[in-house]
Order: sequence, then structure tokens, then C-alpha cells
Amino acid sequence: MTEHPAITRRRLLGLFGAAAALPVLSACGSSVGGASGGATTGGGGTVKVGLVVPQSGVYAALGTDMTRGWELWLEQNGGRFGDRTVETVIADEGETPQTGVPAVQKVLQSDAVDVVVGLVNSATALGVGDLLTESKKLLIVTNAGAADVTGKARTPYIWRTSFTNAQVSSAMGTYLAQSGLQGGVYAIAPDYVAGTEVIAGFTAAFVAGGGTVVGEAKPAFGKTTDYQPFLTAIQQSGAKATFCFFSGAEAITFVRQYTEFGLATTIPLFGSGFLTEGSVLPQQAETALGVQTTLHYSDQLDNPANAAFVEAYTAKHGESPSCFSVQSFDAANVLNRALSTATALDGDSLATALGGVGTIDDSPRGPWTFDGQSPRQNMYLRKVEDASGTLVNAVLADLGPQSQPA
Amino acid sequence: MLVSVLNGFSIGFLLFILAVGLSLVFGMMDVLNLAHGALFLVGAYLGAAFSGAGWGGFLAALGLAAVAGLVAGGILSLMTEPLRRRSHLDQALLTLGVAFVVAELLYTVFSDDPLSVLAPPGLDGSVSVLGAVYPTYRLALIGVGSVLAVVVYVVVERTRVGALVRATVADREMVSALGVDNRLVKAAVFAVGSLLATTAGVLGGPIYGARPGLDAYVLILALVVVVIGGLGSVRGALLGALIIGQVDTLGRVLLQGVEGAASFILFASLAVVLVLRPQGLFGGPVGMSR
Repeated sequence: MTEHPAITRRRLLGLFGAAAALPVLSACGSSVGGASGGATTGGGGTVKVGLVVPQSGVYAALGTDMTRGWELWLEQNGGRFGDRTVETVIADEGETPQTGVPAVQKVLQSDAVDVVVGLVNSATALGVGDLLTESKKLLIVTNAGAADVTGKARTPYIWRTSFTNAQVSSAMGTYLAQSGLQGGVYAIAPDYVAGTEVIAGFTAAFVAGGGTVVGEAKPAFGKTTDYQPFLTAIQQSGAKATFCFFSGAEAITFVRQYTEFGLATTIPLFGSGFLTEGSVLPQQAETALGVQTTLHYSDQLDNPANAAFVEAYTAKHGESPSCFSVQSFDAANVLNRALSTATALDGDSLATALGGVGTIDDSPRGPWTFDGQSPRQNMYLRKVEDASGTLVNAVLADLGPQSQPA
Repeated sequence: MLVSVLNGFSIGFLLFILAVGLSLVFGMMDVLNLAHGALFLVGAYLGAAFSGAGWGGFLAALGLAAVAGLVAGGILSLMTEPLRRRSHLDQALLTLGVAFVVAELLYTVFSDDPLSVLAPPGLDGSVSVLGAVYPTYRLALIGVGSVLAVVVYVVVERTRVGALVRATVADREMVSALGVDNRLVKAAVFAVGSLLATTAGVLGGPIYGARPGLDAYVLILALVVVVIGGLGSVRGALLGALIIGQVDTLGRVLLQGVEGAASFILFASLAVVLVLRPQGLFGGPVGMSR
């Protein structure tokens, strides 16, 4: 009886995915970005980019942030990469590879784009490797954090401007080990790939720095809403701090219950930055105060590039940017740099050019470089604070540059 | 440990509100209503839709859930009426179909993102109980649950209406011969049972949230409660719910490292009751009326 609804739901999801793809297919011509719209402005012609981000489903909010970051960069730079006019085709990634892979296939084949940008879901990013290799086109991943995308399953055509799951959490592991914390840490994250990578990255760095993990729990992903048994286990473990990774509704529920059951005052909560990033923070409200996380960005970062970015973004959309906006903003930035040296628009030429872009010195997140095909970037220690009525991720410290952990 | 016991009680009382409806409909009206979990989910999503809107939102969700429950109960009663003389399996198939339809409708509207529900203001903090910090809302749930338990018990066991319901169970034809339309009695019990299910959904929101699959999860818990407590018995449903609340919570805490241990203990206790006392702890002549 428990199995049956799951099967019908999955099948229905497939149908929905197909249905969602239809309007996208029929709207092939719709394009944004390219301010002039002309196909042959200037001497360089056009470059056609397929922006594949979620416009429906759980991750729709991330897709919105990414589209805004992408469009903002183009707007500020005349809609051009080098001397080429940019033409953007947007497609809906949806939630799963069942919708994401066909969306990438569609922009590659029927829209004949030169470059693909986007992808939130790691399974989708891993699933499109062959498509890109066959068509020899470049993909810049603007979120998907699984290590394998630019690790074990590496292809020369897939680059990343976001992060890896373990990169973010190992920064916290190293920091906590050096912070002089007396006693062990309890680690908790949902039992799916990202959760496992986050915990593994944290534990490796924390233990290497001399720390002890006194307990670990993996609540069922998407099915756990009452964390009381886990919270009691944390209290009984004698841990002096908790490290966790949750996102979306689970992040809201976990942080709220952590305070409601009185743990926040006795066992401080640390986490991967997505715990308090973006739209979840207002819903966690005052229960999130004091939670410390690591991430490669905070809208509170004090550098000129970020100040200008936050001001322009807020003026246009009435809300602060998130790390997701920065990830696609930077994707446009690196493509611009690569196209100024690339000889052609095929994947091989662009990959070679990307390898030589050097330091991205005008990113809102601070300067970063490609190490392999994933960013080597500064990690920031952030703490949720009340800034005159609005909760923000205040930056406590710059933990220095980090590469994708091996 | 105290926190776990308290939590067992708050979940136990929530389960009671859910299961007593199922028990009344199954035990007294002899209809196996597998759509009961879906009704709970309707309440949970109503609570989620109004989440964060303060007491007004919470009460609006409760009111809407009550109306939805009454209407759904009436409809289910009409739908199952032609199947009255058929086997439980036929009723199960029909109500299971209804449960799927409702679950898919909710999925279409709310998608499959798990939603989190906030407790109303004033109850969203925590209080100190004998040195342990515990969420206020869950304490309040224990209070509301005990009041509802007393109300349902008094209505069924001590009033004329309750007597009529029990009489209908014992001898439908005789009640009918006395000039009472027993279809109305059945519809009323169904409506109230469904109302309790949707209400439980709203009340459970701040604990369980709202997500696809929650309907099957709570339906199974409710069936276990009904079987342990005995069909059609209010006292049985209460005791069964409190036992399952404790078993589930303590099982999860004590056997955390063991995969699937918590649900094993849950169903093991069900098996023990079935072997030692097949009619349930309080299953008496009422439950066995057929």
C-alpha cells in the first residue's frame, strides 16, 4: 500500500514533465538578453546560449535567482560577450533528470545553441555528459554540487561556476577543528547524495584537524518532519556542537525545532550555508539567530564588486541576491572572458579558452580561479544576525581559498 | 527521556483524534474507509496554505477543514451505501480509489515539495517542563487531545445520540422499524469521523508538515491504533493511540542506529496484540457486532 502511490506519483511526474516541455518546445523562438536583437551586430556575429534552469517545481525559486543573475550581467555589459551579441534561449529544467535531460537536448538540437548554462540538479548534470560530448558543446553548471560532475565523471566540456558539496562543508570542518571547540560534534544530514557528500567532506576535514565526531544521523530525505528523536539523540550524545545540512522546507523545520526543543542555547548549530540561504531565512525567523554556516557567498560581503551587484540587483527586483544569482552572473562573466580569446564557438575551443581565463577578479564573491573545471574560491564563515529588523548572513571571517576536495 | 515521553503523548493524542474517526466508521458502521489518511492530508495542506497568518489563519484552516471533513464524510457515506451488503474488500477498493484521487489532486495543487507549517503565535515558543525544554504547541496538543477524548467518549457512551448510534450498530433493522432512517445515522457518523480526520490534519501540521505520502503514513498508524485498541471502542482508540505514540517515539530514540528498527517495533507490538487478543484491547461486543 505504501509502494503504490509512489509509483503512480512518479509516473504522473513523468507526464507532467512531458506536459511542461510542450510550452517550452512551442516557444522555441522566445529569447531574452540580446538587447539589440539583431543577428549580426558589429563584426563578431552572435553567440547563442541555452539557459536551462528550473522554472517549475521545488527548485523554481533557484531558477528565478539564476535567470536574474544572468540577465543582470548581460544588461550591465550591453548584451555582448566580446564582440558577439548574446542570444539567450531559456528552457525549463524542472525537478528531475526526466525533465532536465530533455531540456538540455532540446536547446542543443532544436535551438542549436553554442553554449549551455544552468542546471540545479546534480543527477541532470551527470546525465547530460554524453549529449555534450557527442555535440562537442560547452556546458557551464551554475549550481549542481556533486563532486563527480567535475570529478570522476569529468568531461572536457562541463565546467562549473558554483561549488561542490564537500568544498563548502570541509571549510566548516577545518574551521571548527581550529576553533578550540572542547568536545565532539554531532553530524546530521538527509540520506541522499548531497547530504552524504556534505557529511563526508565535513568529517574528513574536521577529523584531519583533530576533531571528533561523536554521532551521525541521516534522516529520511523528504519524509522526516518531526526531528524530536534526532534532537534527543544529539542531546544524549554529549556533543558540544551540531553540524548539519538541510535545504528548503527541511531547513525551516529543522532550525525551528532545534530552537523549540531548547538545543540552540546549549549546543550551538553549525551548517552548510544553504541551511540559511535565500528564501528559507525569513521563515526560520528568530529561531535562526546565531546559526553559523560556511558558503562561498553572502550578500553582506564587503567588496566593491558585491556592493555594486547587490545595489543593482536589489534596485531591480526588490530583494537581495542569493549565491544562486552570483553563480549565473559569474557564468556570464567567464564566458565573456573565454570568448575574447576563443577562436571558435565549439566546445574544444571554448574549453581551452576557459582554461586560460585566470583570476576572475570582479566577482561579487571575491576573486576566484578555475582549479580543474570547478572554482577555487574563498569560503566565508557567516552568522545569522538581526540587522535592524531583517535577518542577514553576516560575514564573520574569510576562511581563505579552497579547491574542490579530492 | 522526559522529552521523548512527552512527545509520545502529543503524537499519541494526535493519533487518537485521527484514529477515533476511523474506529467509529469501521467499528460502528462497518465501512473500511481507506480514504481516512487522505482526509488528514487535506487538513494538513489547508494548515500549510494558511501557515504564518497568525491565529486568524489557523482558525480559518480549522473551520475550512471541518466543513471539508463534513462534506467529504457525507459524500463517502453516499458512495459506500450501495456497497453496504458487499464485502470489506469492495469498500476498501472504492475508498482506496478515492484516496488516490484526493492525493493526486493535492499533488497537482501543491506539488511534491514538503511544506512546513508554523504553530500559531503564542504557541510557537517553548516552555520548560521539569528542566527539559519542550515546544508549547505540542503541550497544547496534549490538552486539546484529552478534551476531545472526553467529549467523544461522553457523546458516544452517555447521550441519546450516542445510544442511537450504538443501537444502529447492534440492530439496523430494529432501529429502522422504530422509525429512524439508519442511512442518516451512518452519514452523520461518517461526517463526524471525517471531520475529526481533517481536524487532526490541521492540528498535526506544525509537527508533521504537509507532503505527499503523509496520507499513507498516518493511515497505517491509524489502522494499527484501531486494531490494537479494538474496533468501535473510544477507550480502545485512546489507549491504542497513546501506546503507539510512545512505542513509535521511544523506539526511534532508543534504536536510532538500527535501520528500520522503529517500524519493526511498531508492527511487532501490533503482532503481539493480534496473537494474544485478536479482538483488540477493548474490542468487545460492539466491535464484533456482525
